[in-house]
Amino acid sequence: MTDVGGVPVLRAPANRVSPQAVPFWTVSALLGDAVLVVAAVLVWLLVPGLPGWAGLVVLLVAVAAVAHVVLMPRIRYRVHRWEVTDTAVHTREGWIGRQTRIAPISRVQTVDSRQGALMRLFGLASITVTTASAAGPITVDCLDADTARRVVAQLTAITAATEDDAT
Amino acid sequence: MIPEPGEGYVRLSPRKLLLDPVKAVGQMVVPVAIALIGISRSDTKFWPIILPLAVFGPLVLGALPWLTTHYRLTATQIQVRSGVLNKTTSTAPLDRVRSVDLEASLLHRVLGLQKVQIGTGVDDDRITLDALAAPDAQALRTTLLTRRAVADQQAATPPVDQPADQPADQSLGLLPDQQSRPVAPPPPAPPAPAVALARIDWSWLRFAPFSLGRLVLLVGGLGVLSQFADELPIWNEETATSAWEWLTQFAVVAIVLVLAVGALTLWLVVSVAGYVLQWWDFRLVREHGSLHLTSGLVTTRSITVEEAKVRGVELTEPVLMRLVGGAELSTLATGVENGVTQVLPPCPREVAVAVGEAVLDRPGPLTGRLVAHGPKAHRRAWFRQLRNALDVIVLLALGWWWFDLTWWWLAAIGATLLALAAAAGEASYRHLGHALAGDHLVVGGGTFARIRTVLETDGIIGWVVSQSWWQRRIGLADLTATTAAGTERVLVRDVRLDVAVALADRATPGLLTDFVEPDRVPA
Repeated sequence: MTDVGGVPVLRAPANRVSPQAVPFWTVSALLGDAVLVVAAVLVWLLVPGLPGWAGLVVLLVAVAAVAHVVLMPRIRYRVHRWEVTDTAVHTREGWIGRQTRIAPISRVQTVDSRQGALMRLFGLASITVTTASAAGPITVDCLDADTARRVVAQLTAITAATEDDAT
Repeated sequence: MIPEPGEGYVRLSPRKLLLDPVKAVGQMVVPVAIALIGISRSDTKFWPIILPLAVFGPLVLGALPWLTTHYRLTATQIQVRSGVLNKTTSTAPLDRVRSVDLEASLLHRVLGLQKVQIGTGVDDDRITLDALAAPDAQALRTTLLTRRAVADQQAATPPVDQPADQPADQSLGLLPDQQSRPVAPPPPAPPAPAVALARIDWSWLRFAPFSLGRLVLLVGGLGVLSQFADELPIWNEETATSAWEWLTQFAVVAIVLVLAVGALTLWLVVSVAGYVLQWWDFRLVREHGSLHLTSGLVTTRSITVEEAKVRGVELTEPVLMRLVGGAELSTLATGVENGVTQVLPPCPREVAVAVGEAVLDRPGPLTGRLVAHGPKAHRRAWFRQLRNALDVIVLLALGWWWFDLTWWWLAAIGATLLALAAAAGEASYRHLGHALAGDHLVVGGGTFARIRTVLETDGIIGWVVSQSWWQRRIGLADLTATTAAGTERVLVRDVRLDVAVALADRATPGLLTDFVEPDRVPA
């Protein structure tokens, strides 16, 4: 398959996301997991006559939640990367799995940026670049808001210059 | 007659005045009947008001669309104006017309009408003219498609002064008024003659029973019937039990046989009848730079797909069809609301391959060998199916434990499931593969059905390399080519990561160059 001896390796995109992403992911994971753990504990306390292993299950859920809250944001920060060149958008994301996405800028149709309430608190914004394929949207999560604005402006300028219908 | 470009608006066919009221009556017959019954029970003094309303309402409502819908062609656009209070005008630039589909239900055909649907590409809504007289519909289709070809040509080749090269007969035949001007732009080439790619061969009818698409309909129909069976008087408990005893005593085998033969016969009749209804007078023609499909016995369909928008084809061989050497072919196109268009009925594999190659304009991709994905992918194919089977078995076991049933049955079902899963795993690995045939990406896939997808590399608008935790441990990845055509993604499953990167790099030269480090020592 290879042309010139070496094994082609896709290098990681150049830029990390904003360091503020770590506390943001921690807080959002905490909010989600807390609901789950509290619900599990309530069931365990309030429903009478549960077998002994039910307590073990609740404990496991709690441990998994703590691990998720502590580890996920850090791993994710190491994995998430992005890069916009003159010709392509390239991102890597995931924390257990990995997804690498590449789309040529000439095929980009829309550029959206999004900032939820919690993201605003941490000064973050996400960019979504869509192409004519439903399988192709590329999201760069958790850039700091200024970078996001700059990238959106850059992408919009480039895509406005291309003319065809990008299919 | 369809209007010439620049002429004013014209109405749809006057025969629509017959079509719409009949349809309107059909739609309103139930509510009107209910209303009439309700009223007749309460009071009869409203009859003089209600009856005319019930009769003339549909007629007026049916006639309104004809009175209010007009269309016209300009030099660059087709415009359709409709509506009573809210006037809407739909316009489509002629060079954006991607497809012109004609359809005629039985009612349409009795009246000699056809429904025209004009697709314009990126957005999903189509312009519908329901209905034109059949010859007008044909004429409109030809006009729109040739005009689009002309517009495309003029856009593609800027006018150059080359009257000397131009064959005189073309200019004479097409644009006599331009003879007076020495520096006229070159007139468009005459449209290429229609080339027939395929037509129905009734020996293909042998594939009908092996194509299970219609089975869903049949089962659905039987489900509806069983609703009525519940109402039958024989279905009370005593008759049922006594009948059951009679059955077990005498004729279990015979009854099962009869049922099986009956079901098989029913299936034969339904599948063959469905095939005949759908594919009667099937023709696939290439003309005006489009693929043009017509078929149908009762409801006729006419589907047009612009070839420039066809990015690839998909050859599907469902497991039963493969036993008898049959296949189905679909085109993957952009800018039509359903990008996957089945262009051939179930037919012999060679025919599907030949038509596929004609559509692709190159031999090879549909028959060539694929690069296998290796033993790790083989293991994963097995494990994936076995895990699915195990999931089902665990669920079943829970059920068994809950209801305290005999374990023998579970063991038998479990063994069957595992055997099936092993077969599915092996089959799905054998179907797996990829290749790059010139400017086409070729991907093999499918679990029980063998599916081969061929996609023009020009139509690839991005890549996704996705690895689950397990895949990362063994160095495999799922490579997805994103595209605007067909189902908008083509998946190369469980391919080695470096092979995936090399494939993507070669399929879309330049796109990955910035991101690939080629000089790594092989691991």
